[in-house]
Amino acid sequence: MALPKATALVLGLTLGLVAPSARAQATPQSPATQAPAMPAAPAMQAPAMQAPPAMVVSPPRSTATAEGGEALDATLSPECRVPGSRLYTLNRLDAVKAALKEKRPVRVLAIGAPAASAGASTSYPVKLESALERSIPNVDVEIESRGLSGEVASGAAERLRTMVAESEPDLVIWQVGTHDALARVDVGDFANALREAVQWVKSHEIDIVLVDPLYTASLAEDAYYTSIVKAVKDVAASEGVPLVQRYEAMRYLAGSGDKGEGHLLGKQFRLNDLGLRCMAEHVTRAISLSLLQPDLATVTGTAVTPPKDGPRAAAPGPAGSGQ
Amino acid sequence: MRDPNAIDFWRGLALVTIFINHIPGNTFERYTYSQYGISDAAELFVFLAGWSIGIATHGKDGTPEPALTSVLRLLSRTVEVYRAQITTMALALAMIAGTALALDNPLILEWHNAGGFFADPIQTMVGFVLLTHQLGFFNILPLYVVLIGVAPAFVLLARRSRALALALSVAVYGASLVFEWNLPAWPGEGDWFFNPLCWQLLLVLGIVMQGWHREHAWLRLWTARLVPLGVVIVAAGIVLSVWEIRPDPLLVPDPRLLFTFDKTYLSPARLVHFVGVLLAFQAVYRLVAPRIGPVARYLAGLGRNSLAVFSIGSLLSLGAQFVRFQTGGGVFVDCVVVGSGLIALGVTAWFVEWRSRRPRPSSSASR
Repeated sequence: MALPKATALVLGLTLGLVAPSARAQATPQSPATQAPAMPAAPAMQAPAMQAPPAMVVSPPRSTATAEGGEALDATLSPECRVPGSRLYTLNRLDAVKAALKEKRPVRVLAIGAPAASAGASTSYPVKLESALERSIPNVDVEIESRGLSGEVASGAAERLRTMVAESEPDLVIWQVGTHDALARVDVGDFANALREAVQWVKSHEIDIVLVDPLYTASLAEDAYYTSIVKAVKDVAASEGVPLVQRYEAMRYLAGSGDKGEGHLLGKQFRLNDLGLRCMAEHVTRAISLSLLQPDLATVTGTAVTPPKDGPRAAAPGPAGSGQ
Repeated sequence: MRDPNAIDFWRGLALVTIFINHIPGNTFERYTYSQYGISDAAELFVFLAGWSIGIATHGKDGTPEPALTSVLRLLSRTVEVYRAQITTMALALAMIAGTALALDNPLILEWHNAGGFFADPIQTMVGFVLLTHQLGFFNILPLYVVLIGVAPAFVLLARRSRALALALSVAVYGASLVFEWNLPAWPGEGDWFFNPLCWQLLLVLGIVMQGWHREHAWLRLWTARLVPLGVVIVAAGIVLSVWEIRPDPLLVPDPRLLFTFDKTYLSPARLVHFVGVLLAFQAVYRLVAPRIGPVARYLAGLGRNSLAVFSIGSLLSLGAQFVRFQTGGGVFVDCVVVGSGLIALGVTAWFVEWRSRRPRPSSSASR
């Protein structure tokens, strides 16, 4: 179904239009040819390299510090780099760990991908899959991606259950909240429905990672929208599941430098290739760090020390880190 | 223009329900009957479509019209529905894009699966005309196109043997449940929201039951006797949906779809509940219609022009979602958008009927 060739063509075409914002990152290559580069840990770099190497590995240190003094997470490629505390809260992922121990493929169900993973964004599951496989070496990751339109507070949570039952994954990555925010459903209803759905997934010993809504400048001052973002965060915290703070990360990236919102929501006025790649990296980062969580401990992104940068970033991968 | 009747009345009620339920989060959503049962307006809509096909392909005295006429009639209806879907989708996408531009808010492009179209128009344009790229809430008409497209086969088969037509339909339905067959969505992953392989059963039930009901007094007698059973099923449905009791899809035995409450596959629980609704409400129109004259005429008017009303209703509910989003919603806004939407639906029905009455040659509207 994915028609990779056609997709690549389309990507090439659209990127021709979007490229200016991406090129501003001073990368000589067209973004389409970049590796959806994920981990910078040199030790891990080797097996990952079908795509051109370079440019991601060691950023100049000077750029690697955020205004608060907290280091940027240098394992991310330069244009996606965000301080760890802005990016994720971590929690244990027992089902994935179990799959890793049994050395079987990790089945991932990605729900609610942007653009419902159609067309060009088919590359999002692909990006996520390759990023995960590179960050957790020697592991086969099988990603299934499903759009989930409709509101969690009315109906979508129920369809989520059906989807989970159909694919029986080890891990669910759920981008949640945008539809509810657009429908202005009651925040309390949303939070309750989300909490129930998360509890249900957990009760079947399936891991779940939440990804909160997109950031966009026109909604930065919208109290309702931010309350939905906060509701996702609260549910993730109270249920003890990892959260990718996409809103915060995108806001950080939008505000950093002179790139403005065009950075991730490209000139084409949608989450562009770069945005999808950053998201795949961010999600992967949260997952691989969550896998490092000691058992019976729950730590937030601020508490855990995210690898600072450069060589020290060789945070031992959970499996096969030695290669 | 035919007089108000039960079928148009119920179809009109289904249309109003669908319009309101397609504005998620609005105040009136919780007062539609969809919130108080396992099945909802979609079942009613498709079943009544089958029933109407049964009526349309027979003369007043019950003799079937020539086979070729039936086939052509259904083919022409398929073309109409397809045209309506393409037009509605094009307008919906333009509304989404226009609103995103006007509000400077790219999130709106992600509305109900529309993002794919804007992210990748080349593949999605193909999926758009193939009906395999569907927007949330704009996925009923694609089902309808497929159902009316295959209806001639069932209509002709039912003339040989209604039991055979129903058996074939049940077999396809059962196999789709057990083997989880569905038509693929494309581009992107996933399947059709309304699985035609399952939902065809309701259409065929409508066609077949209409025939049996017309010909067999015993069936009419028994459907009347079974009203209490229908009431029990409806009551059970209310209890289950109000207390949100439903099977856990990961705990039920295989094949799971036989046991879950799944809309995509029209799982058996939904079907049983819908049959209960039919039994319970079969006589209600005759009882209430005289008392609610204007309402009954309004709903029947909508039902007579269901395709146009449904299409406009989809666009109106999309527009209402934008209004709710921009204004923040609330009871007042909901009253305004739902109220004006209901008026607009009535005007749509009236306008379609006005257009179909050939204007007099002297009138300025003549061509």
